[in-house]
Amino acid sequence: MARDYDHLFKLLIIGDSGVGKSSLLLRFADNTFSGSYITTIGVDFKIRTVSIDGQRIKLQIWDTAGQERFRTITSTYYRGTHGVIVVYDVTNGDSFANVKRWLHEIEQNCDVVNRILVGNKNDCPDRKVVLTEDAKRFADTMGIQLFETSAKDNINVEEMFISVTRLVLRAKLEMKERQNVTQNDVVNLRKSNKQGKKKCC
Amino acid sequence: MGSRIRENVKHFFECFCEVVPPTPEKEAWIIQQYPDTYNDPEVLKSVPKFAYPYKFENTVIQHYSFVLTNIESKWTFGFCRHDPKSETALVVLTYLPWHQAFYKFLDNIAVLTQSPRSEDLGEFLKDVYNKALPPPGKLFEVTFNMGESRFAIERPKQFQLPSIPENRNLTEYYNAVDASNMMLIFASMLYERRIIFTSKKLTRLSACVQSANDIIYPMLWQHIFIPVLPMALIDCLLAPMPFLIGVPDEVLKKVHRHDIGDVVILDADANTVETPFDDLNNLPQDVINSLKKQLKNRSALLGDGVSRAFLRALVQLIGGYREALHFQPGEKVTFDKDKFIDSRPVTSQPFLKQMLHLQIFQQFIEERLEMLNLGLGFSDEFEIEACRYSEKTSSRLKQQYREWTSTMKKEGTAFFKSVKEKANPAMKSAVKTVKDGGKGVKSAYKGLRSKLKENPNSQQLQNGLDSPSDKPRSAPNSPTGKRRSLGFSVPTATYRKDSLNFKSSNSERPYSPLTPISQPLSPDALDRSRSNTPGIDIPRIDLMTEMQDLLQLRLETPPVDRSLKPVRSLENFKHTSPLSSPEHWAFPSRSGAPLTVPATKLFLPKSQDTQNLLQSPDDVFSSPPVPPPRASSTENEFFGSASFVVGGGRSENGDPVFLVANRHTVDVVKLSPPTISPRRKKDSMAEDLIRLDSTSDIDDFDPLKSDDSKNSFLQNSLEFSATDGHVPLCLSNPLYNYHEPQGVQQNGNGITKDTKNDHDLLQEYGLDFNHFSRSFISGRSANFDPFQPTNATKVSSQSQWTKFE
Repeated sequence: MARDYDHLFKLLIIGDSGVGKSSLLLRFADNTFSGSYITTIGVDFKIRTVSIDGQRIKLQIWDTAGQERFRTITSTYYRGTHGVIVVYDVTNGDSFANVKRWLHEIEQNCDVVNRILVGNKNDCPDRKVVLTEDAKRFADTMGIQLFETSAKDNINVEEMFISVTRLVLRAKLEMKERQNVTQNDVVNLRKSNKQGKKKCC
Repeated sequence: MGSRIRENVKHFFECFCEVVPPTPEKEAWIIQQYPDTYNDPEVLKSVPKFAYPYKFENTVIQHYSFVLTNIESKWTFGFCRHDPKSETALVVLTYLPWHQAFYKFLDNIAVLTQSPRSEDLGEFLKDVYNKALPPPGKLFEVTFNMGESRFAIERPKQFQLPSIPENRNLTEYYNAVDASNMMLIFASMLYERRIIFTSKKLTRLSACVQSANDIIYPMLWQHIFIPVLPMALIDCLLAPMPFLIGVPDEVLKKVHRHDIGDVVILDADANTVETPFDDLNNLPQDVINSLKKQLKNRSALLGDGVSRAFLRALVQLIGGYREALHFQPGEKVTFDKDKFIDSRPVTSQPFLKQMLHLQIFQQFIEERLEMLNLGLGFSDEFEIEACRYSEKTSSRLKQQYREWTSTMKKEGTAFFKSVKEKANPAMKSAVKTVKDGGKGVKSAYKGLRSKLKENPNSQQLQNGLDSPSDKPRSAPNSPTGKRRSLGFSVPTATYRKDSLNFKSSNSERPYSPLTPISQPLSPDALDRSRSNTPGIDIPRIDLMTEMQDLLQLRLETPPVDRSLKPVRSLENFKHTSPLSSPEHWAFPSRSGAPLTVPATKLFLPKSQDTQNLLQSPDDVFSSPPVPPPRASSTENEFFGSASFVVGGGRSENGDPVFLVANRHTVDVVKLSPPTISPRRKKDSMAEDLIRLDSTSDIDDFDPLKSDDSKNSFLQNSLEFSATDGHVPLCLSNPLYNYHEPQGVQQNGNGITKDTKNDHDLLQEYGLDFNHFSRSFISGRSANFDPFQPTNATKVSSQSQWTKFE
């Protein structure tokens, strides 16, 4: 069967409601007329096909309602996804605190999930409470990239999505490589820091 | 909290809609709604999609439910009625998961759409909408048809396990899916898989999905939950996260299996499960074995036997969470994961380690911790079973409990103090100030009094009335608590089809308008549609249709082990009709179970007091006591010191300590064991009448069980009517309990010195919060209970019936 893409990636976008997940998705999605179901069935997704290094990648980005009710989002939630976009609101400290807890949970219990940290609503310096330095420091300790975006002003949104797509694509290609080559011959720098972790996703 | 059921629900329903089916040219649309003020565009936009999830042929009356999830992940339930003889679908949106009640409500509406008086429906909806919700276990009743007819349902009690056949969902699930497949699904849910249910029948589909969720009580599905998936939302099946989705057969046909990925599929029509996983075998073997054994015990499965079997499996798995709770005076209660694992049998440990990573388990723990830390008590069926289980299985655990209890006793005061901190500032300062004694007492008292005068607004108390059974995590509801007390009257009568030919004739009314004002068409059209209607309309009872429905149901029931079926017996039938009108409308009456034989057709004489029919003799005899006002959270804070409960266990003398929830006998501060008053002993005998399964299983026999039940009698009671101090038998489940009614306090020898000090001291200074609350309520209480039960009402109501065969 002829497919119109080379890879299909399913990504999750997580974060408190109100941090602008839907707006980010709307900015990003191909078809903004498809409507949103998040307020009626608690789940929504957007699709877009991007091209990276000549490869056509179809992205499905999924969102669910009411995540802020979870102190931790457990590993079963991430099972079956290729990557996670973790969003907080730079004008809301609580949303950043939640994100930190969730990322720790992923770090501890999910081995293969690619993550990216996003501080949204970065368009009003006066109201910013989560400082870039703090967020950057945290992102560095978790070994993930940080993007500060504004869905409203369309700042950094495209870059962020492309970046996470690259991340997932690279992980997939690396895994393929690892399967082809005997593991002893390959020193995998990206994965080496994760040895000994429980694998449950 | 993790609950997805809304609290503080004000109305029986949020919105009623009548939906016109889709045509090739046009999507389904809402032709009228009540109230007009309901205006959630997103919801209203999606209602037609759920009312007609795909193009289906309808030959029998179908009831099903769908669920909408809002941005906060709270559920709105949609109940839907399709009648092949009607051009439209009736939908009611509500926050209350009272399935049986709403199907009955829809039936009533269906009858009223045929009413010769066009205002009837609108008036009925208005009355129901504006009527305050009663306390759990009590009747919600509205008269209509100019006061001649009555719509009455029992408000479901909290924490009641779904029973067969009263709970239609579970009965449907159990009839469609055999025990081993139920276990497979249960196991898949404990692995938080992506799970699809499918069926050709929407009724079966939604019932099975709802029941599957009910069965994991005390946990609650935290992921995507869509009992009926409309064709338009088919893409949701691609979601990579866990889900539980009911997919109509027609919709599932449109999906490429390959696209969905690893998914568990239950075909409820064929009674088959397709799964790429081995989840059931990965559960601890002893849990599976005892579950299997219980589900084989056919005689015990009637009533809540099925629910209880799964509940016990969960008790075996996670009941031990209580031993892993960490109490530290002055600090919040926490859950120690390692301790939880270590305290369990080695064979269970691998699974339990995985269980820690379940969202449903995490939320369960979070919720229990939150309740503990708020000082709210809980002792639901799960805790009772857990206590029973630990009692039965392990003396070591018992020992741990004793230690725990005594520790709690020692630490009780400290812990209580920390709870008090969170209480209403007025209360806090009162206790503190008064306790400190000394000079400032009098002025403090004065200040407090003025505070109280300003503060105890009726709003708080009003909330208290409304909220209790909407507390989160109430057990799956089973509105027909007593089998005699409720029934389903499905008007399968052949309706006139006057002017119902909607498609062919635009000038005629396909629906009956709610009110003359609200209708979009001219009154002329209405008159025309009604013109050939005789003033008194006696729908003919279509026995054949009813029998056909029944036969069809049976034929379509998959080859399930018949021996496991609930026993059908005449005692399951209830002879009530939603209407008792002067016109002697007659409706075939059916019990809640879809498989039961239609009951005798009845004509209710005009004078018939349906109240008697709807009330079990138990209710009639037992006048409720003077329960104190039930606490809403605000109110609870206000009277915070009077009551709260922590966990469970048994004290040295074997009394169930976790049932501290009993406000009557237990000192909430000290957590001392409840004492059983003679009066409650007497009541426990009646309790057995309700627990049908209590003697069927020898394993079940537990002398302490009745004690537990006794303790729970008064909990959460919301009745304000009685001042005679009788105990209501209608409340068989232990519940949140916030108050100690002052009147019964003397009965409880369990009151220990410390609390007494608090109370006495306060009383000495003229402060008695219980008293306060009660007197505050009593004013309104007099006419609150619509039917003050007296012995005189216990007339054999059936003797007044005329039976028609």
